[in-house]
Amino acid sequence: MYRIRFHGRGGQGMKTASRILGRAFFLEGFEVQDAPRYGAERRGAPMFAYVRASRNTINERGIIRRPDLVVVADDTLVPVSAAGVLQGVTEHTVMLINSNEKPEVWKDRLNISGQVLTMPSVAEKEDRLEPRFISASCAGVAARLVGVISRTSLKQAISAELAHLGAAVVDKNLAGALESYDLMGSHSGSVTPGHEVPAYAYQNPEWIELPFEDARVSAPAIHATATSEKMKTGLWRTMRPVIDYSRCNRCWWVCSTFCPDSAISLDDEGYPQIDYEHCKGCMVCVAQCPSHAIHAIPEQEAEAGTPAGERL
Amino acid sequence: MSETVFKRMKSLPSAHLLGAGTSLCAGCGGLEALKEIYDILGEKTVIVNAAGCMTLLTIYPFTPFRGSWLYTAMASAPAGAQGIRDALDILLHKGRISPEEDLKVVVLTGDGAAYGMGLSSTSGAIERELDFLYICYDNEGYGNTGQQFSGATPHGARTSTSKGPRGFPGYKKDLFAIWSAHRPSYVATVVGAEALDLARKIEKAAGLKGPRLIIALSPCPTGWSYDPKETVEIGKLAVKTGVWPLKESINGEVVHTKVPHKRLPVEAYLERQGRFAHLFSPQRNKVLLKEIQARVDAYWERVSQPTLL
Ligand SMILES: Cc1ncc(C[n+]2csc(CCOP(=O)(O)OP(=O)(O)O)c2C)c(N)n1
Ligand code: SF4
Ligand code: SF4
Ligand code: SF4
Repeated sequence: MYRIRFHGRGGQGMKTASRILGRAFFLEGFEVQDAPRYGAERRGAPMFAYVRASRNTINERGIIRRPDLVVVADDTLVPVSAAGVLQGVTEHTVMLINSNEKPEVWKDRLNISGQVLTMPSVAEKEDRLEPRFISASCAGVAARLVGVISRTSLKQAISAELAHLGAAVVDKNLAGALESYDLMGSHSGSVTPGHEVPAYAYQNPEWIELPFEDARVSAPAIHATATSEKMKTGLWRTMRPVIDYSRCNRCWWVCSTFCPDSAISLDDEGYPQIDYEHCKGCMVCVAQCPSHAIHAIPEQEAEAGTPAGERL
Repeated sequence: MSETVFKRMKSLPSAHLLGAGTSLCAGCGGLEALKEIYDILGEKTVIVNAAGCMTLLTIYPFTPFRGSWLYTAMASAPAGAQGIRDALDILLHKGRISPEEDLKVVVLTGDGAAYGMGLSSTSGAIERELDFLYICYDNEGYGNTGQQFSGATPHGARTSTSKGPRGFPGYKKDLFAIWSAHRPSYVATVVGAEALDLARKIEKAAGLKGPRLIIALSPCPTGWSYDPKETVEIGKLAVKTGVWPLKESINGEVVHTKVPHKRLPVEAYLERQGRFAHLFSPQRNKVLLKEIQARVDAYWERVSQPTLL
């Protein structure tokens, strides 16, 4: 049985990628299961989707614990432990990462013995703020790596799964996906099906025993205030808003008022400060700032580069 | 008209009470409105929240609120509010809390509950003159379950249950009128993108007693299919095109608080949203666009004649 996991952020299309791959397998005569899994079902939040495909009946259920292939649409998720990208990765697992860095860098950094590949480069996106719609390309590469899916089945699967988005979108995605499929030709068949696991060998979930209590005691009550701040939604961000203080004219009632996430506060002199632990990167502030003092830069650049956005 | 502390943009709150870190979508227009509203209502509130996107604000043990919060079934938030108000009144009456410790009871629901499932419970609460503020964040569909259509979905919009070439065949209900017919103390429409207008209305509503309603149009990047950065722009366009009239009604007298004198064509609002994309491609649906425009024009025509109440 093939077990494939797609990791991405809500909105990047990994659910669609799993649907496309699942359908392509089906067209090749496989039995298929595919399902998305969300923590918070929200744009930007880490999510994953998975596909099982087998020539036999699939009895296995639930999350894939031992993947043959892990596709990562967004390499900022790799270090996020909650995203579980590396869960169950063994030397048998092929990792396919969408990244500007080389596969060797990832192999070294993650210290994994299996094969690591990166997505073949596709045309540059036009608008920096517009996320690339990479689901079809991810599915295309995955289809090539398993080596049992024909170009025709892939084409048919993409056309069917994206049909509701209109012909123009289908064409654009077909072009990208087929190009990726062709480019990965030398790796065809590098993902091989893992062993069948008998039901009795499944890992038990980690239950926590909670003694039954009177409802007045056990009903969940929160006694502290604004505890949501413990959740670091800054991890959702793929683009970072950075304030150029030389252009900022302290009209905080614009950016600070419109930020949906209470992520812009004021310092003593009335300059806005962005709380990067919580800013989700919606870019509302970038779009609204009347003096264009807020810029959007890719999160990776921001993390690697100078501490931009700090007022000196 | 009563004095407002919100004379200009500068007088808006500069620090925010609603905690960050919630699991609502990036760029959520409903969250933006709620954040602005909560700054003014303050923490001495009990939020009574029916099932919907905003339920996910508070996931044990996390909450963005600084005051209390109660979760109810989708149709019964006003009934929950009644229970809380009664309990507070009893505590006050018995002297177990002082008047300073009293809390404002605030219902918070989506449009699915406010325009549909919860109407009966709402109607009963208004009839009993319950002292509460109802905030409906109106994202024009059942957002939390994947944007199925609701009683608030506009004509022609695509939802996950109206995917045809003409979109949603029905018409958005007039919740403002439904509430007004009950003769409540206050009814108003707001949008987070018009923050000053919103602040004045919340200030006014907070100062009144009895049943009060705020309907906040809530641009929803996920359900309306647009880039999250457009949330405020789309909110502003809803007002500038006249699609979302900003108004209030105190004891039955309706006042439009921000009249778009040079109304932009409705296309300016519609074409930015994926849920209306089928009106523009593959061909422009001139008939449907004209119909939508005509309904907006007819509304403003009607309200510009003060004699017709
Ligand atoms: C009686 C009942 N039916 C269905 C549901 C499932 N449900 C949970 S949230 C939701 C959508 C609510 O829509 P709306 O009130 O518009 O709020 P939004 O999700 O848009 O925030 C539904 C149908 C429920 N919780 N209770
Ligand atoms: S809106 Fe722009 S100019 Fe105004 S305070 Fe914010 S960053 Fe500065
Ligand atoms: S991008 Fe700007 S508006 Fe959006 S969450 Fe971050 S600080 Fe707030
Ligand atoms: S689905 Fe819409 S209303 Fe719900 S959290 Fe997301 S943006 Fe907000």
